[in-house]
Order: sequence, then C-alpha cells, then structure tokens
Amino acid sequence: MRQLPALIFTLLLFSATYAQSLPYISLKTLENKGFQIKLLEKEPLVIISFWATWCSNCIYELDEIKELYSDWQKQTGVKIIAVSIDDYRTISRVKPFVKSHQWPYKILLDTNQKLKRALNISNIPEIIILKKGKIVYQHSGYTPGNEDAIFDILIQNIQ
Amino acid sequence: MKYFITAFFICSSILGIAQDKSFLNIGFETNSQWYVNDNRTGKFTAGNALRSNSYLNVNYNYDHFTMQVQFESYAPQALLNFSPNFTSSLNIATFSVNYETDKFNSTLGYFYEQFASGLIFRAYEDRQLGINNAIFGGLLHYKPTSFLSLKGFYGKQRKGFDLSKGHIYGINSIVSISEILKLKNSALSYEFSYVARYQNSVKTNPKFNKTTGAFSNAFHFNKNTFYSNIEYVYKKKDALVKFENVFDNRLFDGNALLFNTGFTYKNFSVDATFRRLENMTFYLNRNVNQNIFNDQRVNYLPSLTKQQDFSLANIYVYQSQPQLAFSPSGKSGEIGYQIDAFYKFKRGTTLGGKYGTQLALNYAIWYGLDAIYDLDNRTYTSKYLSFGAKYFSDLNLEIRKKWSKKLTTLSTFMVIYYNKELLEDNFDQINAWLFLSETSYKLTNLTSIRVKIEHLQTPNDSKNWWSASSEVYYKDISFYVSDLYNYGNTNDAEKIHYYNFGGSYSKNKSRLALNYGRQRGGLLCVGGVCRFVPRTTGYSLNFSTTF
Repeated sequence: MRQLPALIFTLLLFSATYAQSLPYISLKTLENKGFQIKLLEKEPLVIISFWATWCSNCIYELDEIKELYSDWQKQTGVKIIAVSIDDYRTISRVKPFVKSHQWPYKILLDTNQKLKRALNISNIPEIIILKKGKIVYQHSGYTPGNEDAIFDILIQNIQ
Repeated sequence: MKYFITAFFICSSILGIAQDKSFLNIGFETNSQWYVNDNRTGKFTAGNALRSNSYLNVNYNYDHFTMQVQFESYAPQALLNFSPNFTSSLNIATFSVNYETDKFNSTLGYFYEQFASGLIFRAYEDRQLGINNAIFGGLLHYKPTSFLSLKGFYGKQRKGFDLSKGHIYGINSIVSISEILKLKNSALSYEFSYVARYQNSVKTNPKFNKTTGAFSNAFHFNKNTFYSNIEYVYKKKDALVKFENVFDNRLFDGNALLFNTGFTYKNFSVDATFRRLENMTFYLNRNVNQNIFNDQRVNYLPSLTKQQDFSLANIYVYQSQPQLAFSPSGKSGEIGYQIDAFYKFKRGTTLGGKYGTQLALNYAIWYGLDAIYDLDNRTYTSKYLSFGAKYFSDLNLEIRKKWSKKLTTLSTFMVIYYNKELLEDNFDQINAWLFLSETSYKLTNLTSIRVKIEHLQTPNDSKNWWSASSEVYYKDISFYVSDLYNYGNTNDAEKIHYYNFGGSYSKNKSRLALNYGRQRGGLLCVGGVCRFVPRTTGYSLNFSTTF
C-alpha cells in the first residue's frame, strides 16, 4: 500500500509533460455507423458528456443544457456529443429515450465502455470540454447551475 | 511484469517528445470503508474494519499504438463481500499493447470485448460489483472492406491476480447486407459468433466434452425511426453443476432467443424486448457455476427490467434466471418481455406547460419456463414458447416535468410482483406499490435543493417502508441527509432507521465523497448484475481523479 502514493507521484510528474489529446477509438452511432473519436481533434470546440438512461443526474444536466444549446452554438460554435454508457441491459432504451427528450446532440454508444475506460471516467455524469482535441475542462457529477460554469469555459476558449 | 512497466515508461518517455501525436491519461479511484459497531445493525466481526479498493489506470497512446496498465490494491482487505480472489495489497492487474488503424486492430495482453448482445460472450469491468473478467491473450479485429468485420481471440481469463486454468477462444463476423445491396435508407446486418471454453477435468474420462462451444446468429435492422434485432444462441452440451458438484452423467445443452424492436412516431416512442433463456449460465470454470461473486463469467445475462437509482425501488429487484437446477425445485430458465413507451407533451399544450412534460412507461414480466422436471433422476423436458410459473412483474410510470426555470419535478408510480418463494427458494409472494416524488428547486444561480420522498406499500414480507432525502448544492459542493425506515415491520428489532449523511466535492477532474451511515444490506445491482452486500454501519470515502 505504501508504494501506491509513490507510484501516483511519479505518474503525476510524468504526466505533467503531456498535453492531453484523444485516443484512437471508434464508437457506434444510433444509426449503427462507426464514428472515430480522433476526428474530434479537428473541431474547434466540443463537449463530450457521458450519460446513461438510468442516470437521473445525467438526464437533469442534458435536459438543462438542451434549453441553452442553440445560444451556446451561436456564441461559441460548440458541438455536444452525448456518449451513452448503457450496456445491453438498457441500450435498446437509448434511441426512444433520446427521441422523446428531443435532444439535439450527436449520440454515441459506448456499450462496452471503451472510451469511458480510455479517458478514465469513474462516475457519470461527466463532462469533458475539448479545444481542438485537447482537454481544457473536465467535471464529474452534476449540480444545478453547473451549466453556467460550462458556458464560462466555452467563452474563454473561443478564438 | 517489471520489465513490461520499465519498457512502458521508457517507450512512452521517448515517444513523449513528439507530443502532438501522443496521449496520456491516468485515472485513480479509491473506495474505502470503515465499518463500525452499531447496536442496531450489529457488531462488526468480519476481520479488518478499515478496508479499501483502489485502482490506478494508465493509458498511453502514441499515433496508432496504445499501451495500458492498471494497478489495483485491496489493502488491508477488499471491501466486504468482494471476491476472495482480490487479495493483493498492490499489484499489476491488467496490461496491454494495442495497435489500431481503420482496417486493423490488434491487442496483446488483457482486453475487454463483447460479441453481439453478450449472450455468449462479454469481458468487462465493473468496479462497484468487483467484476473484471478481462481476457489475457490476443485479440485481432480486421475490416477488409466496408461491409465486413472479422474478429478472433484466444486467451485465459483474469481471476483476481491470477489466470483461469481453462482457455477461451472465439470468432465473430459482421456482414453489412445493406452495404452489399447498396441500400441507402436502411441498414441490415448479419452477425455470427462462436465462443468456446476448454477446461480440463479432474475426472478421468469424463462423459462430457472438455470443450464447450456456443454459437450465436443475429440480425440487426434499422430504417428511419424503426429498428429491430434478433439473436438466437445455442450452447453445446455440458455437465450439470450444483454447488461445485459436477454431475458428469447429466449433460444438458442451452439456448437463448432475444428479439427487440421499436419505433418513433412524432412525440411517441416505443421499445419492446422479448427474451427466452434456457440453461444459459456459462463460466470459464464449470465448477464455479453460479458463484455469488460473479467470478469467471463468460457471458452477460442481465435482467431486463427498468434499472432504478432510487432506494426503495431496489428492495424487490429481479435477477435474471438463466440457470438449470433440480433442487429444491426444478428450474431451467426464464421467459418474458419488457415494453417501454415514451411520450412528450409539447410545450404550450395544456399538459405540456411552458417547458413540456415527459411520460415514461415501463412494463416487464418474467416467468420460469414451462417444463416438467424429474427431480430424482435430474432430467426435464421444456416447451418452447410457453410460460411457466410467474417470477416477477413491474409496471412503472414516470412523469418528469419542468414547471419553471427554477422548479423541476419527477414522480414515479410502480406496481411490483416478486415471487420470493421461487426466486429465493424462500416463502412468500410479494405484491408491492411504490410511490416516489422528487423535487428540484433552484434557489439562486449557485444554490439549489432537491427533496425526495418514497413510500413502498406491501401487505407481505417485511411490510411498509418509507424513505426521505434532501440534498443541498452550492457550486461544486453538495450535502445530503437521508433516512430509510421499515415502519411496517412486525418485528421491532427490524425497525431500523437506515440514516445516512455526507457530502461531495467536485473540482475539475477530481471528485471526493464522504458518507456516514447505515447500509440496508441486500442486493447491489449494476446493469442487471447483482452482488450481495451485508447490513453494516460505517464511514465511506470515495475519491476519483484523472491527470
């Protein structure tokens, strides 16, 4: 157990030399087509939101952002990608759920948690803001009002 | 393994110079518990009172290469009721090297994978349940053309910090029929999978085959807002196992049928799933069939019911029943269906109000197979599309409404039937009604409050419960108090206030949560797979971060 803090410290120092970008991972869209995550590096500003149909706070957050999304797009050009981590138990619910909530987001399916694992996400909801593929903000959990903090970050990162 | 780590750091340091193409992501998570004595929930006597599970995962990506290593620590002991295989104070749990291009993907080391819906194979990780059945070996994925995908793997399964004795291998191919036929508006594909497990037997000349294979055939169809999937699985004959006793003169095959369809029309969406499972438990070690720690599972058979994150809704939770058993009663599988319907009342309508109203309806019903059992000789015959004894049903209506910019409410009503007699080999059949109401109110831009009230009513089992909780949020901080009380219980010793209080703090990439209170005990379920957690009192700390 004593080795663990030492190990973490080493890795912290080691990671300080890295700017984070995106892994080479392909996920399925709702239309069952492949979508390469690496391609998001070309986008000026992207929000990736990890969610699931059984996650109440995720739904609060994405419903809330829906109201603001068109304003955000006009002002910052941001694109939102909602990555569902529903596995086979609940995956069939994703499509009707998204339609009924009329979410305007691009939906990707991370059925066996490939992207979730690559980005080391432990709790959902989790929001990641990417500027040309580099992580500029990451936040786990949703507290009402969090969308204002997200908007501030977006404004800071427009060119 | 030390060489692997050294090599890992040297390679990534060298490659790190060309930073534009590299990606490093490190995640750390720790879940700790300090169990204390409590005169209501009992003295803590199960060894170490302070326990923690910690995970450190490092992903390094350079161009098309990815290296991964995960350290795990269970010190001084794993949390209560985790598999006894998680023993180490700090050790390397998984590591791998992966090379991926658009056409080609190969992994050496530990990997996770799923074929079709997982009915014959799923390797995955769930830290809350203590499931990590990664395969150690090689995985190849090749996409020669746009309409064809081929996968193959071979390896052994992770078992704590060890590997399974048995071997597993499999192939999977997906053919996109719509792409061959150049259909523009619809997608149709055919998926074939085969998975086999080889396990030697201590018995000389066992009557069963040491290799057990399972086949899956699936079609996936999608046109505009309509979709449909069907999968049929056949698992070859294998010995009957009960409590690690292998009956090698009783061999049974297994099968599964899954059908799912749905569509959306304007504000209305519906999704329906039918599933039949017969003798579908599949483990890398046949001897540990149905072990309570979910060790060495090969396939994924979640219960198909609505997954809830409310406390009282998780008292009578259904677990799928894929197993074959002849004692105390005959069981050979399950059959049933689940329907979901969603409707949105538009903004500006009477029921929609200013922000719209969302309705979600779920109905799930599950039965045993209609079969005749000869319990003495351990044989049975089953009918195919016929329903046996009823196990479980659940009707669930949820209304989510935003009233104003500040106020949102969620109301749920549930009608539950739970056959404890057959599902738990216990007695009693339970009819229960549950009502839940959740109100969120935004006080200022930075402060909000959420209040949740639940009531479960039943004349059976431990009778009525109520639960209440309140959570206050300020910026990235939240505090909560909650209580759960079995007020209807006829046994006063069981009338326990399961109170909890705590808070959480999230900042950038880190989240810290602290909690003190009583845990009810029972099934902790994630994704339809459950782990039993005992009744305890104590402090807990959860911390996760990435850097």
